[in-house]
Amino acid sequence: MPRTTPLPWRRALAAAVVLGTAVVATGCVESGRTVHPDAVQAVPECPVDPDPSIETTARIAWQAIPNGDLVVKDLQMLETCMPNADISWSKFDSGGDVVQAFGAGSVDVGLVGSSPAVRAVSPPLDIDLRITWIQDVIGAAESLIVRDDSITSLRGLEGKRVAVPFGSTAHYSLLSALREAGIDGSVDLINLSPDKMLAAWQRGEIDAAWVWDPTLSELKDSGQVILTSADTAASGHPTFDMSAAPADFVAQNPDFMRMWTAVQDDAAQRLAGGDDAAIESVAVQLGVSPDVVRSQTEGLTYLSAREQAGPEYFGGALGEVLEDTSGFLLDVRETDGVAPAETYLQMPYPDAIEEVAAR
Amino acid sequence: MADSATERRRSGSVAETAGPAAGGEASGGETSPGRGSSPGNGTPPDAAAGARSALRRSRRLRLALQAGVLVVVLLAWWLVTAVQLVPPLYLPSPGAVWHAFVQANTCRPIAEGLSRTVCGEQNYYLWEHLVASLQRIGVGVGAAIVLGLVAGFLLGSSRWLQVAFEPYLNFLRALPPLGYIGLLIVWLGIGDTSKFVLLFLAAFPPIVIATIQGVAGVSEDRVNAARALGASRGQIARFVVLPSSLPNIFSGVRIAAGFAWTTVVAAELNNGIPGIGGLAYLSGTQLNTPLTIACIITIGLVAVALDAIIVRLGRLLVPWQGKA
Repeated sequence: MPRTTPLPWRRALAAAVVLGTAVVATGCVESGRTVHPDAVQAVPECPVDPDPSIETTARIAWQAIPNGDLVVKDLQMLETCMPNADISWSKFDSGGDVVQAFGAGSVDVGLVGSSPAVRAVSPPLDIDLRITWIQDVIGAAESLIVRDDSITSLRGLEGKRVAVPFGSTAHYSLLSALREAGIDGSVDLINLSPDKMLAAWQRGEIDAAWVWDPTLSELKDSGQVILTSADTAASGHPTFDMSAAPADFVAQNPDFMRMWTAVQDDAAQRLAGGDDAAIESVAVQLGVSPDVVRSQTEGLTYLSAREQAGPEYFGGALGEVLEDTSGFLLDVRETDGVAPAETYLQMPYPDAIEEVAAR
Repeated sequence: MADSATERRRSGSVAETAGPAAGGEASGGETSPGRGSSPGNGTPPDAAAGARSALRRSRRLRLALQAGVLVVVLLAWWLVTAVQLVPPLYLPSPGAVWHAFVQANTCRPIAEGLSRTVCGEQNYYLWEHLVASLQRIGVGVGAAIVLGLVAGFLLGSSRWLQVAFEPYLNFLRALPPLGYIGLLIVWLGIGDTSKFVLLFLAAFPPIVIATIQGVAGVSEDRVNAARALGASRGQIARFVVLPSSLPNIFSGVRIAAGFAWTTVVAAELNNGIPGIGGLAYLSGTQLNTPLTIACIITIGLVAVALDAIIVRLGRLLVPWQGKA
């Protein structure tokens, strides 16, 4: 009977207790951390006059994309400018995930690409979103790169296989370019996520790809860029990374939105001017060196509030660009249908931008 | 050292006597030095000493062999990367992997001369990622042990229950976790709950099956003997059935823990930071292969260590195994 050999039991129990306490003592690693407690942080700053009267609770979704949102987060501008507001940041890996969070009502302001944003307001999701800010206009950061040196123009891609992540802004740019050239029926498009492209490229399974960093940089070693998203933007099909917020959040918190826009404006201007401290902030948030960030920011365009208020964007054309994107998403079966045109035309929320631009 | 060797000789290894369930999946890692040399009580002292020194020699030999293989593997790895047989993106050098490992556990300035630092990867040190995964595995496997034991005892002691539910158990056991993680996310969200449930579902069937086998394998004679001495049902369960089925239960827990490790990456594919499986996956998508390999090696080493702890615990708890 076990009673006669109590020792092993007790020893085993002691071992289990030691093991358990070890895990508990070192443990309780809280999730959702956006800055490491051991890291040397920047001095918080507020570029405008702080407003203690704003007491909004805002849950912000951010992504690892080099733009002003990261400067705002790193310098704790929102927290400093609105000391009585309750700001929380959560990291998301893709626009699709942010859209999912909007659908679940767990995010108040979030960064999404133009394609996911339009998908969110289209059937079947039908989330009532407002676009509050253009974080960046995508330029050479997303580019069409080909393996074969002899192909120098889009026409050369006829009958070739081109990889692109379906439903992304790059997909939209690629389709726009192919349509413009009139060869959208004769190119073989395949859906591939960026991390899988490299292997397919090395094996010669794809002839070209429209993609972003870090894959784009890797492919540049053995390929050449023939077209960028800056070119498709110039021909009337721009793509953006933008901030979106549910319509009722925007309507209920105009003061918050004004302050939020003011700090975004400041961050965008710093990045557009190539400010070292702003680049450093982005580098810290991304965990890469400032040189890498600097080369990445060259492929994106940052717009001030004044520029965004103009007729090209919130002053007029942005709604039409979004409507155009909705047709594209339907074509590639990313949505079930297209909402009425006014759904897209009313997406841009220009009020705060105009107020900030008028200062 | 000597103590552990005696311990080993006395109890044998769990894997050796684990029964069919343990056979295929859980045999890795465990080798028993005492195999074949089991001096009984009647052995003369000289012979015992001789056996001990033989044991020491074979243990040294074993260590030398294992260290040798490790060195050869590392050398081959280093050589392949040094002559650039494959691009460093596909197979980074051992040095690059070590650097990624160190960097993932320390704070570093983002560039020379700048005061700002970043710590670890994704704002967690590698060991914090590991602890987060261990906690998830602890919750999932812990719940599986508790419920698995209960279910196993019920099914093991009633033939009809077993007939009724065993097909479902086998069905669940055969399901690949990657297949139903999407479903769990829809049901339970992307938080920790879906991860706990996934790990639980992975760990539950092996424990139940092993417990059933253990309970069914208790010799009738022992039960009858206890009954003849006037033991109640509860006493029989506590003092006869439980101790007799412990070896099986432990091999079940071993398999379950191993399976939980293979499941942890699937569990952490979505919103898996902090988590070492999530970090391995994320670094792969970012083409940061040195970090991916560092994560994989860490996962492997910790899994082997955890397995050794379970084996050790099994020996402590079941010292009578192999003696009866």
